[in-house]
Amino acid sequence: MLIELDLVTKIYNQGHANEVRALTDVTLAIEENTMVCLRGASGSGKSTLLSIIGCVFPPTSGRAAIAGKQLSRLPDRFMTIHRRQNIGFIFQQFNVLPELTVLDNIGLPLLPLGVAPAIRKKRATMLMERLGIAHRADFPARQISGGELQRVAIARALINNQPIILADEPTAHLDTRLSLEFMQIMDDLKTEGKTVIIASHDQLITESPSLDRIIDVKDGRIHHVP
Amino acid sequence: MTPILERHLNLLDYALTSLWRRRLKNAGIMMVFAAVIFLVASFQMLTRGLIDVSEKILTEVPDIVIQKMSAGRQEAIPLDYRERLDDIFGILKVVPRIWGYYFDETNGANYTVMALELDAMPASSQLGRAVIGEVPSNNLNGGIVLGQTVLGNLHLGGRRTFSLFRPDLSLKPLRVVGEFNPATEIMTADLILMSLADGRDLFDMPPEVVTDYCIYVANPAEVGTIARKIAARLPDTRVLTKPQIQKTYQVIFGWRSGFASICLLTALVAFAILAWDKASGLSPEEKREIGILKVIGWQTSDILALRFWESLVVSGLAFLVGCLGAYGHVLFFSGSLFRPILLGWSVIHPSLTIIPVIGGDDLLLIFTFTVVPYMAATVIPAWRSSIVPPEAAIK
Amino acid sequence: MRPTGLLLIIVTLLLMASGAAWGRAVQLRQESMESLGLNQAVTAGLGLTDLCIATEARYTRHPSISDPMAPFMDHPFAIEHFPTGSFWAVPSHIIRVEKFGGKQ
Repeated sequence: MLIELDLVTKIYNQGHANEVRALTDVTLAIEENTMVCLRGASGSGKSTLLSIIGCVFPPTSGRAAIAGKQLSRLPDRFMTIHRRQNIGFIFQQFNVLPELTVLDNIGLPLLPLGVAPAIRKKRATMLMERLGIAHRADFPARQISGGELQRVAIARALINNQPIILADEPTAHLDTRLSLEFMQIMDDLKTEGKTVIIASHDQLITESPSLDRIIDVKDGRIHHVP
Repeated sequence: MTPILERHLNLLDYALTSLWRRRLKNAGIMMVFAAVIFLVASFQMLTRGLIDVSEKILTEVPDIVIQKMSAGRQEAIPLDYRERLDDIFGILKVVPRIWGYYFDETNGANYTVMALELDAMPASSQLGRAVIGEVPSNNLNGGIVLGQTVLGNLHLGGRRTFSLFRPDLSLKPLRVVGEFNPATEIMTADLILMSLADGRDLFDMPPEVVTDYCIYVANPAEVGTIARKIAARLPDTRVLTKPQIQKTYQVIFGWRSGFASICLLTALVAFAILAWDKASGLSPEEKREIGILKVIGWQTSDILALRFWESLVVSGLAFLVGCLGAYGHVLFFSGSLFRPILLGWSVIHPSLTIIPVIGGDDLLLIFTFTVVPYMAATVIPAWRSSIVPPEAAIK
Repeated sequence: MRPTGLLLIIVTLLLMASGAAWGRAVQLRQESMESLGLNQAVTAGLGLTDLCIATEARYTRHPSISDPMAPFMDHPFAIEHFPTGSFWAVPSHIIRVEKFGGKQ
């Protein structure tokens, strides 16, 4: 199994007055090369679940093994390395740096890896051509449209050739046409052998025929694991 | 290229572009910083240059100078004191001098009048090199040699004669027989040189006294011993030795003891506080940027390295610009900003060329007092902010 | 060109300017050797003790041989008020008991 969660619980601010229990006893396994949707309303805990799968932080208790590594045993430094080797993130807000050019934004994850500018440009250009934003390469990110921004975010998530792609509410700021295009891109990625996990409550996604599986998240628990 | 070097080049690239994005703010900080370094470095170089000049010229000061003290003040020293030194072994020469100050009311300037029998000095033969024209004879004939600034102040035109007032306001006629070489202005700008007899006449001093004695000894190593003997023999005198005289300029220009350096350090501290404030109060955008970078795989150490490069570029460039500016300021403008401080209210301003003296130790000192506090003030708060958890960006 | 290259150029230019200024200083120093000799001649010939830098008062014109009372002028409570007095340090012989042990 690529992703295995066993009785995972996540409590924010444990021991403080503002303690929040976000996940309770989640047990879940996701195979390689599948496309999965985490469905749930906002506040259901699906973003927290995505963060644990994405090696952003370890669970408070329980066992989480992502791509062969147990998170709770990894120090912060190695979790970061593990994350950048295995996980590509696509955020709801895209989280693209508005002042940087499209090209620079896509190459950003490669800077601390010591990848030379020429190689960065080559890899980014390949992705931009594939996603149809090559003509925007030298534009600052703040000058391009929402759909293009998301493609920048997708390209950035793919630049290090990570096997797992995570998307958090990816279509919240997109219209129907762009949302369908996004699902098409994700479908293509799955065809390439990547594992795609999307957290969303958008019907365009949850009803998409491309999905292999839908996991319902409610009140920090998983309700439906077919 | 090794990945480690390439990583730092990449981070430096990124640091430079992000500095450029906030170019107005960063250029402002850099200018202020460069100005602070410029002030500190100018002051340091100017004082070091002055000390350097004084050290070289003052190798030739008299071995011992003695003055008579009365009620804590200097007063005229009787000529017969000379006989009481006769039997101290090792004294080569005792030269009585009359010297003092003449206040020029028209210009509001103080001149130094120096009167002595030139051939009594051990190095009198050298003097001719530094004087254009003749040197005064030993007679009472009003022959004088003038420093360049005095010459300029008197507006003699083509005339060679003028008069100065005696204490009783009668006129003492004088005749310019020579002038000091302009290259010696740092020693002679305000000098009026005349014979001992003329000096006595001008100041109306009784025949049995002079102002002080210059004493030359045979063996330089014995200056201290001989000075002690003189002090014992003439308890009412003040005995100054060559090392004491030479040391004076190191002390009075020593920058750590200067009032100005305290002002500059205050400016520096204020700047460090500003830098700290700027670096510790991260704006929401900066926090978000750090969160994004972390979640796409940057480590805390990468962000720290980025901040380090940013600070190093700002402070390093400011250091270079500030030091270079200071060097030029001292070299080409003779430290004109600080000259009023060092020269005070003087009416006479000799045109001294100061060659800035700067050693590795000075640069290190300036570096430690400027760049290091800035780096500390920016990188340490950056470390606090770089441990922002990445989920800050996800929401 | 990557930004680092530009920075390298700027730093190189600054260092070259520093080198040029330093070279000029070396040149000036050589030129000043002659005037240094003249200054030494006049110092030795007349027994001069001080640089003519500030002429406002006798303790600033001749700080190395002024008596300790000079800055206080004519009565004990007189306040020393010339600016050089604020910026220059007090000569050591004024604040220390004099010793004649050669170099102190």
